[in-house]
Amino acid sequence: MSENQNPQTNQRTVTTTAEQPRTTTAGETDERTHDAWTAYDFDGDAKMTVDDLDVYYGDDHALKGVSMEIPERSVTALIGPSGCGKSTYLRCLNRMNDRIPSARIDGSVRFDGQEIYQDDVNLVELRKRVGMVFQSPNPFPKSIRENIAYGPQKHGDLDTGLLARLLNRSDAAERDELVERCLRDAALWDEVCDRLDDNALGLSGGQQQRLCIARCLSVDPEIILMDEPASALDPIATAKIEDLIADLAEEYTVVIVTHNMQQAARISDQTAVFLTGGELVEYGDTDRVFEDPHSDRVEDYITGKFG
Amino acid sequence: MPRDRYQHSLDELRADVLTMGETVAERLDESLEALERRDDALAEAVIDGDAQVNETYLRLEEQCVDLFALQQPVAGDLRFVTASFKIITDLERIGDLAVNLANYALAARQTVTPDVEIGALGTAAHSLVERSLTAYETAEAATCRAVAAADDEVDARCQHANEHVTRALIARTDGDDDRWGVERLLDDVSRVLLTIRDVERVADHAVNIAARTLYMIESDPELLY
Repeated sequence: MSENQNPQTNQRTVTTTAEQPRTTTAGETDERTHDAWTAYDFDGDAKMTVDDLDVYYGDDHALKGVSMEIPERSVTALIGPSGCGKSTYLRCLNRMNDRIPSARIDGSVRFDGQEIYQDDVNLVELRKRVGMVFQSPNPFPKSIRENIAYGPQKHGDLDTGLLARLLNRSDAAERDELVERCLRDAALWDEVCDRLDDNALGLSGGQQQRLCIARCLSVDPEIILMDEPASALDPIATAKIEDLIADLAEEYTVVIVTHNMQQAARISDQTAVFLTGGELVEYGDTDRVFEDPHSDRVEDYITGKFG
Repeated sequence: MPRDRYQHSLDELRADVLTMGETVAERLDESLEALERRDDALAEAVIDGDAQVNETYLRLEEQCVDLFALQQPVAGDLRFVTASFKIITDLERIGDLAVNLANYALAARQTVTPDVEIGALGTAAHSLVERSLTAYETAEAATCRAVAAADDEVDARCQHANEHVTRALIARTDGDDDRWGVERLLDDVSRVLLTIRDVERVADHAVNIAARTLYMIESDPELLY
């Protein structure tokens, strides 16, 4: 045993990892959680490394000691029941929780080896490199073209005149090239190429969501966080988003929160299961998690036998 | 508990596979008895009963496909439905082999080959089928491995019986000029060799059931190879 329980605070301190069981918060469950269940061994490099991350909203301990490595250029699914902390966790990855005054975050999140929870981190730059797509499509009430060009213009990546001077090309040509590339990458170009100046709010829900993904791509991110990106969409629009996610993972690192376990099974390379209490209970290759979970609680959750 | 209907479907599948297993084991027992006692009526009953086994097989196959399509089982449930889906195929094949044995019983008008321990071999194979089904019912991994180990012994005994019959054939044909005697002997030998082969195959299907059951219990493919 390598773990001590402090009876006063009921918090654990873990001093070593693999194969050692640790006790979950008292009263929650009798099952013991093994660190080995979340120690995911994968080929390639980690894009993000999270170490012992705790999140508190006031007195509420929303996320407890989560450690996890996210492989680059792959799809990582976060699943678990409502209130398990998976969206909280996702928002920690680009410091969106900073916007919540009562939130307190302990632990470490490294992005390409760089700690993102340092005071001198440029949040605008961080969120440009770690983009986010939300549950409800939220395009700007502007034209399709402007939705894509807005971010790069805001960041000063467009209309600098630099390319125009060097290559004798107009800023408009540069912008149109970017708009087309992003819309193509988001599998939307063929549907909207002849109406780029139409208002984006006139698109269907599924098209709006793909536009939001295209908008996210326009600032050249490395990681794309998705919080239930297809839960408001019909099956056909959902299928298009799922295909798109698979394509995106060839170039980007995708982390997706989903309530739909079959969706997680279909589209992700690895799956992390969070359970009530803000605990990461199991993390591993998606096929392994869905065919042979180590944890009985995870088994009960994914087979629908909890409750 | 949520998903009551789903849980009920899983329970129903398990019960139905076991019922099919009992029926097939009974047919096998009857075919062995028909062979032993030269009981034509019993042999006919086994042959007639195969249609029911086939119907049950198709119904259970549909139950499994419905579970895959409608409930998308995962984890232990997925392994259970997958194992059941494969096990019913083995049970159906054991049913077919029981029919073969019943047909051999009908064909065995007289025996000119030396006695081989068909009855004892049959009992051993039958016992493996029952043990593999017990493992499936009670989720006992140790029983699965024991079935696989016991099959090696059945294989050795079948091999020995084959050799015994072949040696007798060589001995008997030497200097035997009676053409009809040779024909009868060939029929007899072929039938006995086929009987031994089919009994051995019954045991192999029992091992398949044990292998799928072990995968179901422990996600261990050890016996599948």
